[in-house]
Order: sequence, then C-alpha cells, then structure tokens
Amino acid sequence: MSADHGVASTKIYFREANVRALREEMRQNPRVLILGQDVGAFGGSYREFDGLYREFGAARVRDTPVAEAASIGIGVGAAASGFRPLVCITYMDFLMLGFDPLINYAAKLRYKTGGLLTAPVVVKTTAGAFGQGVAHSQCLEAWLMSVPGLKVVAPSTPADAYGLMKTALRSDGPVVYIDHKRLFPIPGEVPDAETFIPFGQAVVRKPGSDVTVATHGFMVRIALEAALILEGEGVSAEVIDLRSLAPLDINTVAQSVSKTGALVTLEEGQTTCGVGAEVAARLYECMGMRPWARIGALPAPVSSNPVLEAATIPDAARVVTAIHLLLGQ
Amino acid sequence: MIYKLSVPAAVPGVDEIRILEWQGTPGTAFEAGDLIVELETHKAVVEVRAGQSGILRELRAEPGDWRGIGLVLAVFSDRADEAIPAGDGDADLKVEFEIT
Amino acid sequence: MNSIESLRLMMLIRAFETALAKRPDHGFQLLSSGEEAVAVGLSAALTDKDQLLTGGRSIGPALARGAEPGAVMAELLGRVAGPNRGRGGRGHMADPESGFFGAHAVVGGNISIAAGVALAKQMAGDGGIVAVLFGDGACGAGVLHETLNISACWRLPLLFICNNNQLSVSTARTAALAPAKLSDLGAAFGMWTRTVDGLDVACVAAAATEAAGHVREGRGPAFLECVSVRLLSHSTTARETRSRATLTELRAQCPIRRQVAYLQSSGYLEIAQAEALEREAADRVAEAMAFADASPYPEASEVLDHVG
Repeated sequence: MSADHGVASTKIYFREANVRALREEMRQNPRVLILGQDVGAFGGSYREFDGLYREFGAARVRDTPVAEAASIGIGVGAAASGFRPLVCITYMDFLMLGFDPLINYAAKLRYKTGGLLTAPVVVKTTAGAFGQGVAHSQCLEAWLMSVPGLKVVAPSTPADAYGLMKTALRSDGPVVYIDHKRLFPIPGEVPDAETFIPFGQAVVRKPGSDVTVATHGFMVRIALEAALILEGEGVSAEVIDLRSLAPLDINTVAQSVSKTGALVTLEEGQTTCGVGAEVAARLYECMGMRPWARIGALPAPVSSNPVLEAATIPDAARVVTAIHLLLGQ
Repeated sequence: MIYKLSVPAAVPGVDEIRILEWQGTPGTAFEAGDLIVELETHKAVVEVRAGQSGILRELRAEPGDWRGIGLVLAVFSDRADEAIPAGDGDADLKVEFEIT
Repeated sequence: MNSIESLRLMMLIRAFETALAKRPDHGFQLLSSGEEAVAVGLSAALTDKDQLLTGGRSIGPALARGAEPGAVMAELLGRVAGPNRGRGGRGHMADPESGFFGAHAVVGGNISIAAGVALAKQMAGDGGIVAVLFGDGACGAGVLHETLNISACWRLPLLFICNNNQLSVSTARTAALAPAKLSDLGAAFGMWTRTVDGLDVACVAAAATEAAGHVREGRGPAFLECVSVRLLSHSTTARETRSRATLTELRAQCPIRRQVAYLQSSGYLEIAQAEALEREAADRVAEAMAFADASPYPEASEVLDHVG
C-alpha cells in the first residue's frame, strides 16, 4: 500500500485491475456476466478473470466456443434483456467477426427503437503488436470511433483500466474497452477506494510547454520515453493520454495546444483515418490551424518478424525525430 | 563467500515483479534444487530454485514488494558466520527458475 | 387459438399488407403473402411470457403476435405513433410489450441476439421462452450454426423457426443449401427437430406447441422447419423471377384459401361467414390506416435523440 497526496493505493498489474473492477461490479449487481473463450476456470488468456469463476460460478462466468459473432450477439441480446454482460474477445483482430451484432445491432438499438431498448454490453478486447503476426497484432480503435451509439475506451495504466472498466460496466449502451498486450507487464498504483473514471475525460500525463503529444494505450509509454529524451535536448513535451476515444475530450487537447502551439498525434494503429486524424480535425474545428504531425504504424501489416514489426510500429526514436521536424529543429 | 540473489529476467517484456512467498528465513540452509522464493509476473509465477547450496542471511524484499529486474532480493553465504557487507555480495547465487 | 381465430388473423395480415402495398408511399417492404400460417401458427404456441424475434419479413409475425395494427401501420409509414417513433420501420420494429422483441433487417442478424434474450430468460428464471423466426435464406449464414451450437450446449430456452418459403430473393433452396430438410441443421446439434407443412395453420400450431413445450421443460432448444410458399416477389423493389403459370399454381396453395376450404368442408364456416371475416379484416385495416395517417412524422430536430 502507498499513499500519494493522501490517496491510499496499491501497486497491481493490469489484469488485477480488471479483476478488481469486475469482482466489485459482479458482487454489487448479480446481472453482470462474463462470456468468452477460456474465461472460466482458466481465468482468461491474460489471467484477466482470475478467481472470478471460483467466486461467481459457471452460470455467470461462461466459456464460449470459438464463435465471436454468436458470443457478441448473445451478450448483446442478454444486455437488451436487462443483463450486463462483458464479452471478452481475446484479440482485437477477431472483433471484426462480431461487427454485425456489435455495430449493426447493439450500437443502433436505442436509436432504431426510439429509446425503447438499449444494449449495455461491454466488449473487452486486447490490441497491439507483440510478435504474434499479421492477424494477432492490430489496433483498430479508429474504425470504431465513428460508429454513432458506440463508446470506445483504451486505458494506459492499471488505475485507468480499473476506473474505466467500472464506468463501462455501468454504461447504458455498448462499450468497447481496449487493453494492450505490451501494457500487461507494467504495474501501477490503483486507488484502494472505489473509483470511477468518467468517459470523455483525457488526462495530462506529463506537463510541458513546447509541443503537445496526444496519444493513448501503449503509445503513452512511448510518448513518455520520447519526452524524457527530449527533456535532455531542451524540448519540453506535454503528453496527453486520451483514454476515451469516443466520446473524445478535445478540450484538454485544445487547452494544451493553446499553450504549446504544436500538436503531434501518436498511435500504434494506422494513421489513415486514424485516431490522430480525428483529433487534429476536431482541434482545427476548435481553434483553427496549428502545426501538426501524425505518427502511427507504417502502412503495412504487422508481421511477427521481429525486424519488420519493430520497423512498422512507432518507437521513442521515431517520435523524437518527428517532433524535431515539426518544431523545425 | 557472499552471494546475491537478484530478480531473474525470466519472462520477456517484464520489468518489474512482485515477491510472493519466501520458502525460508534468515538462517535457513538451502541445497541445490530447493525452492527459495516465488515471484509473480503479469502472467505467471516464477519459482526460483537454488542452483547451489548456501545459507540465506538477509532478505532485502518482503512478500507484496515490487522489484525491478536485476535488483537484489536476498543475500546468501557459504557459512553462517561470514559477515554480511552493507552493499550487495560480489557473486551471484546460482539459481534455476521455472515458470509455472 | 381456435381455427376461426387463426383464419381471422391470417386475413388481417393479408388485408393489412395488401392495403399497405397499394399506397404510393409504402416504402421498402417485405411482404409475407403465402407465409401467414407460419406466423399465426407459431403465435398460437407462444404466451405473454415469451418473446419473438424475426428477420426483415416482420409485419405478419408482429401482427400475429398481437402488436396493435394501427401502431404497426404508423411505424411502417414512419409516423411517431409507431412503437419506435417511426424509426425502425419494417426492418427493425420492436414492441417487447406485445412479446415482439423485434425485427432485424440483416439476414440471420437476429439469431444470436435471440439466443441472448433466451439466456437472460434462463438466468432470470421467468419461465418464458424465445422464438426466433428466419427464412431459408438465413440457413447459409455462419452465425446460425454458431448459435445452434451454443444454444444446444447451454440448453437455452430457444425455439428456432425456419420459415422455408424455398426461395431467397431469386435463389432456390436447392441451389443454396445442401440439406433438403432444413431441420437437419438442428439435428446436427442434437436438438428436437421437425419439418412440417407451413401452409397448414393447424399443423404449424400443433408442431410449434409441441416444440415450445419441449423448450419450456428446460430440455434445450428446438428447430421447427415450416415449408411455405412466397406468393409475391422478395420485396417491393425486387423483380419477380417466376412465370405466371408458376405463380397461379402457387396461389392455389395459399394458406388462407386452404383454411377457408378446410373450415367450409368440415362445416365450421359458411360462405357468408367467410365473407364477413374478410370484411372485418378490411375494416380493421382501414381503422389502422386512419390511425397511422392521423399521426405526424417526427420533427427533423429529433434526429440526434436516442443515439446513445
């Protein structure tokens, strides 16, 4: 246990933050369920459901066969009928197998029924490149941000994983909650008290004055690494962790850019129609043109080949170079 | 001789681990093959077993503590009467680790 | 539901859809002429604890389930008096109060949703079952097979009703699906299955009641195939591919005609009575139409309401 500014907290892993949020919500509401592959006795592929099967039993923590479309559809149908399921899709690459129930039904249910029905389902998935090949590495959150009726969040710390999951499980419509494989080994302090992090609220991870770096997920770590290097070179970068992609908190980014005068958007996904493109467009609508650069994966599939994967995904060096270029240094 | 037991780089991508449980207290003698301590990574438990005999002299981390890879967890010696220096030992304790 | 009631309901559906199709502003509709016995026979087996989900051919089933004809007409014509303020239309209308959980216009898209509704009923223990109605067109979809599997594994209280009208837009069942008997799709997963004549409302009602009974007892899902005919083209914009001669032959199999003939030959129905029932249906539809026409369209200003 530790106490920072008077807030009692404990250092835990991402998966433990997930378990804690779920355990609290499942104790509080008997209608919270978990569906997914290997979520039961196995405790989840990333151990993100450890102990929940033992406590809540097979009816509430259900293993599914490999059937993403039906699993999401079943979660959505149960949600529309008053339950609060979490459907776990182990790899974000497989989420597209369930796009019909998620996007054609769940995201549209409230609108198409004139508010009569809604589907409070959380689809939890894990994105990111980690040596597992072209169909096990993608970051597709940008595809989901534009779906009216769908909320999309992506924590970068265990505290945010806990707080955003708590909020997700009390949301009244479908939420896609996105973890990242490379964040799992990195522990962090999580408040001991019950905490909800609202959607649509970005956070400044590191204050700075020369450039704003708006990012999310694992790339927050890369941005902080780059910011450290830049400090040593006399450039002060302000790193903003978006956390919530839909709804998106453009005000925090705008406030930062008013101060720094320049924006770099950083994501692990593709830059074409990416999170960064949307952030920049909204910023422009907010405050007009500012110098902007976007950094993301190179336009290639992410191979499991270590040389090619490293070349495709942004690293701190690439971020530093891009910032120097943007600032004309 | 004084030996230090450091956090092994057992699992790729792991920078920090959590101490789970020590299998001895200062004064406990270990033989090769004995389980010394269990460490927890984000995905697995690492069993650290002695690769040589030695006597556990000092614990530098308690269960629940977090330590980065390479940091010292404990100090061992060949004989119970050797003085323990303030810093870390000269040599690394030979260990084997198993990921469960 | 007795035989006269079944006939009354089938006539209501036919009159309703006919009147709808006559309007110049009818919009994009899928009509169920020839398939009324499936909707009505199925509804005879369902109680007010149950829910029905369908694909896009939803009008007949919604009316059979007891949704108010006026409200349904309003919904189809985009008026606010519809259960979904005119936003769902035929492809998506939902009236859970009437036991019509909803239509979904993606072929096969409602099948896994229905299993979720069934899971909720199983866990809540409310004693209800869920029926999901789909056509032969949905039988090629992967999600049907995924859902058959999971619902069998979890013994969900789900009744799969396949309305096999033998044609998917222009594609005959024989060209699209390997099994000749579509209920075999359920048999592969070890569930209760049967194939019946979907043009005989009493036959459908009896089979649906038996299937529903099996499901109600907690013995797992059931798959009932009802073989029917589609008397019109797939939709109000789809070209008809069959010859006049074929259509004439098919019309002779009309389930309403059959029910009238059966009731008359068994002495349950006089010709005058049959005509009275037709008029009654027409009157109810006229009432529904007037109700719908009296309801306004939504204001454009509500376009961003209920997005979520």
